[in-house]
Amino acid sequence: MKYQFEIIVGLIVILFIGTFLYTSSINPDAEFGGSDGVGSAVVSELTGIPEDDVKPLIPQWAPPSGEIESGLFALQAAFGGVILGLGFGYLIGQRTTQ
Amino acid sequence: MHIMEGFLPPLWAAIWWIVALPFVIYGFVRLKQTIDENKDALPLLGICGALIFILSALKLPSVTGSCSHPTGTGLSAIVFGPFITAIIGFIVLLFQALFLAHGGLSTLGANTFSMAICGPFLGYYVYRALKDTKINIYITVFIAVALADLFTYVITALELALAVPAGEVGFIGLFITFLGVFAVTQIPLAILEGAVLALVFKYIVDIKPDIITKMKIFSEEQIHAARGKIQ
Repeated sequence: MKYQFEIIVGLIVILFIGTFLYTSSINPDAEFGGSDGVGSAVVSELTGIPEDDVKPLIPQWAPPSGEIESGLFALQAAFGGVILGLGFGYLIGQRTTQ
Repeated sequence: MHIMEGFLPPLWAAIWWIVALPFVIYGFVRLKQTIDENKDALPLLGICGALIFILSALKLPSVTGSCSHPTGTGLSAIVFGPFITAIIGFIVLLFQALFLAHGGLSTLGANTFSMAICGPFLGYYVYRALKDTKINIYITVFIAVALADLFTYVITALELALAVPAGEVGFIGLFITFLGVFAVTQIPLAILEGAVLALVFKYIVDIKPDIITKMKIFSEEQIHAARGKIQ
């Protein structure tokens, strides 16, 4: 069967979205924050040091807003996308010229 | 899987830096060698590296009600080995520490150890173990990639459990707590990543099977067998 693999992966993606919709519907309070942040919260709870009091060992620049942060994440993914396209484009081009 | 800046005590931050650094440096040497010696592999290196950039930027929701991101390191570990993957992963994590406040410079050693070293190494050895069995090559890639992703988060949990004073729950109790935060969230994402990267690998095999056999990633017979079954 053609596209058998694509269909399997598509089903896994649909299943993934399905579990997300299900968990967010049975648990409307879920914040879907980063697990990094949840991990940090657990550390704070265990050590008794509030998260805001944890001092960086090495000073760090943080994106001033969520918008800027998501922009930089998009930039990271876009850079990857360009290289991915270049790599596949090169392979496909090589095949057609041979 | 990022441990945030300041969340590891100086001693552990230093230990993980010392552990991670040799892998990254040797990875850099191997990367240079590969680029110099095997020009044919460059587009493939681009694809594998790019996937780490893309997938580690995607934060996806999971069953635990929090978000996490895939690592993308598995395919690179299979094709180029864990050392080259270590340097690529390090570069991604450095970018995130400098510009995104995801992870930090002091915890970069620990984050590199989990995402760029332990995950890829496990993925690589799973691939090696399954490589010469009768298992379909795409299934092998799926399993190796998914386990590399999941194992990254197991190591993050371990790093935090070691760094936090154990108290009454003890080390094992701490480890299980952090596994609950990181690894359980990661299971659906690991399955998704495994499936997507296996598909990407199939496209590479479809377009240029000779580079896969030339780099001895899989044999011609294995590719042939897999193509017969899956279109």
